[in-house]
Amino acid sequence: MTLIQVIINSIIRASELSLLALGLTIVYDILKFANFAHTELAMIGAYLAFLLNVGLGISIVPAAIIASIATGFLSILIDRAVFRRMRGSIGIVVMVTSMGVGIALRNTVRAIWGPDARNYAVPLQKPLITPWFRITQLQIWIIIVGVLAMVAFYILLHYTTLGKAMRASSDDPDLAQASGIATEKIITYVWFIAISFASLGGILIGMETYVQPYMGFAIIIPVFCAAIMGGIGNPYGAMLGALVLGFAENFGLYINFGKVLNLGGLLPFSKDLFIPTGYKPAISFVILIVVLLVRPRGILGKKKEG
Amino acid sequence: MLRVIDLYKSFGGIQALAGVSFDVERGSITGLIGPNGSGKSTCFNVISGFYAKDSGEIYFQGKRIENLEPFQIARLGIGRTFQIAEAPEKMTVMENLLLAPKAQTGESIFNVFFRSSRIKQETEEHLKKIVSILKLVQLYDLRNEYAGNLSGGQRKLLSLARILLFDPYLILLDEPTAGVNPTLINDLMVAIKRLRDERGKTILLVEHNMRVISRICDKVIVLDSGIKIAEGTPREIQNNEKVLEAYLSGSSKKQLFHEDTGS
Amino acid sequence: MGFFNFLIYLAIMMGIYGILSLSLNLQYGFTGLANFGQVGFFCLGAYITTIITLAFGMPFILGLFGSMAIAGLFGYIIAIPTADLREDYWAIVTLASAEIVRMFFLNEDWVVGGGVYRGGAFGVGGIPQPFKSHFSAQAYPFFYFAIVLVCLLAAYLIINKLTRSPFGRVLKSIREGEDRLAQAMGKDVKGFRLKTMAVGGMFGGLAGCLWAHYYGFISPNQFLPLETFIVWAMVIVGGKGNNRGSVFGAVIIIIFYHSTRYLKDYIPIEEVTLASLRMVAIGILIVIVMLFMKEGIIKEKKPIY
Repeated sequence: MTLIQVIINSIIRASELSLLALGLTIVYDILKFANFAHTELAMIGAYLAFLLNVGLGISIVPAAIIASIATGFLSILIDRAVFRRMRGSIGIVVMVTSMGVGIALRNTVRAIWGPDARNYAVPLQKPLITPWFRITQLQIWIIIVGVLAMVAFYILLHYTTLGKAMRASSDDPDLAQASGIATEKIITYVWFIAISFASLGGILIGMETYVQPYMGFAIIIPVFCAAIMGGIGNPYGAMLGALVLGFAENFGLYINFGKVLNLGGLLPFSKDLFIPTGYKPAISFVILIVVLLVRPRGILGKKKEG
Repeated sequence: MLRVIDLYKSFGGIQALAGVSFDVERGSITGLIGPNGSGKSTCFNVISGFYAKDSGEIYFQGKRIENLEPFQIARLGIGRTFQIAEAPEKMTVMENLLLAPKAQTGESIFNVFFRSSRIKQETEEHLKKIVSILKLVQLYDLRNEYAGNLSGGQRKLLSLARILLFDPYLILLDEPTAGVNPTLINDLMVAIKRLRDERGKTILLVEHNMRVISRICDKVIVLDSGIKIAEGTPREIQNNEKVLEAYLSGSSKKQLFHEDTGS
Repeated sequence: MGFFNFLIYLAIMMGIYGILSLSLNLQYGFTGLANFGQVGFFCLGAYITTIITLAFGMPFILGLFGSMAIAGLFGYIIAIPTADLREDYWAIVTLASAEIVRMFFLNEDWVVGGGVYRGGAFGVGGIPQPFKSHFSAQAYPFFYFAIVLVCLLAAYLIINKLTRSPFGRVLKSIREGEDRLAQAMGKDVKGFRLKTMAVGGMFGGLAGCLWAHYYGFISPNQFLPLETFIVWAMVIVGGKGNNRGSVFGAVIIIIFYHSTRYLKDYIPIEEVTLASLRMVAIGILIVIVMLFMKEGIIKEKKPIY
């Protein structure tokens, strides 16, 4: 594995994570709770796309778009049914509730489709192979979609009325409400954007690997890590966090710590020391814990005093 | 008793305290006043340890305290109330007050299991004191109510009762009359004076109500935009030009300040 | 399984999960520490006792105390850097640490004690059951239930005494996430959180130990985050901040969970689907309770003076 390959893998992973982390962080910002059902909704998006793609024979791109939009609407429904009744409740309470929602979603899917992994009906990928790296067309698309999504979000946030309203609500929700910016409406839009992006991320991950009921839960910690690392509530932080995490995970496995400890011959350490692949998920956990200890508000987080 | 030297504290781009120094004499009632945003609350929070200072020194009874944790400062004998009267919603008035006594034996796990008779004894003693204090502030009938169900004024009384029980040497009162029924304010003033006269407490209070300040304070310290602009008896302060200016043109002064820092 | 044996099995499960619920309730219901990684203590306890009794051939009682000690220590250590974090961050950190524990036992397939203990994905079997030789095969489950019951009672009495003491009072004062008052009253809030995590960890480890010796076989799959959520359901439904509620919650959820097993004899439904639907029900139950009955079934009792 060459350095370039590791970099490419990192970017791919960062792209996937950013689609998911972005949604998590903006919902957190507006509604003030950590949504433990976030990645489950992404999983639902992946399954809906599966239903459309494999079940109904719709080609993958329109299936992905329809599924993302549909899941976005689903999240609005869930908000109406559950979270709306909890506006103003303490964070933990809503968080625990979202845990319940997540359990229900995950197991509904498992009840319907079973625990086995599924794949989309996508033509077999022929990778681009060079002496330094290989990359499939899908992976290139993952990167492109990720970047496009971030750009789209940036435009939304800074060039639309909705974006302005979102920023206002984020900075000062009471003032925003008082000055007539209809906060409930904003919340609806935020859910839709957050979850449709997340679904897209889920679908891309499903396309790259497979679709199974626990796929949401499998990435919940890296996604939270990315969002928290970047400063929860800050969408650019989420993107940054995703980048950091993508690189950390891939370089973490790639670096030979034995060589590091050896210091180029200065120290008598001559063994090869790699982080075992079985511990790959642990990399994001450990980084998260370290970040939270050193800078609890994240890299770009807002400072909360008193 | 309390000596604050050259305290600096900033948040983001805003300099809340810019070199504040003052003394609080033992057995005095000292007032800390200033227009909104002058840094009074910040000062309180830094003294009690809830905010970390940027630079400066704070001495309490000769000991340096500016780097200590809030609970350590509290244990040294500085008690404080909060602007929004803090009270755990799901605990009753009685439970709230049972929290207050210092150095309770029953707060260590070992003691809970091996010194339970001593704990029971202590609790009995505390209860007696609590009952008398509750009757004093007229909250006795509400003793088994959840603190969350009390009105704002009642919560203030609860805070006061708690401080009495906590029995510190120095009491920091954060806007004690804010939101309080005008008829009650007189009682409060009497109570604060009694704290000093009968129990020898030293009191530092942040207040907006000038009547209260002039009636009970021995000394007043005036802050504006993070600097001490005056210090003296209430009468001296009332006639101080700088003070009047600060209050009258308070908002316009701040405008200037913000433009200077470009924030 | 014979009906009687099934009842004993249920009773033992209620005991073990009752201890887990009491532990989680101490952390969340009384102290406001939303531990999403409760299964970590469970897992640690199970593996530690296995290592002690199986790999090193030590007696059961050492395994028991060893699990409790190590799990308690783990709780304490995890809390040192993280106890003052915001509740939601803390939940994620605990979730992550529990997963790290599980991953550790999944990946570390040491072979100890001459091949008797072999860790890793396939799990470890042949865990010795305490005093097995003294009882007939039929009588043994009753004996084991007696052990579990004693442990449950001990856990209940200890935790209850703690929560009703001045120590418990301080816990209640910091559970709403606003600890300034406690600080202003001179309470070492962080210290209280650390101690709570140690005690909570100890009892989580105890439950793990009891589990390992009952089943005789443990594997990392038994300690998925799923277990944490089941315990959460027990605490929430039973009544948070209330020790009887925790045990009650354990009883109810276990009854619900296992009674639906036999549904498949009456409804043409597959085992896997049934298992999933059960969890859907639990998820919905959590949501409903949090929305409409936040206190749980048995509400916290108000101390009256």
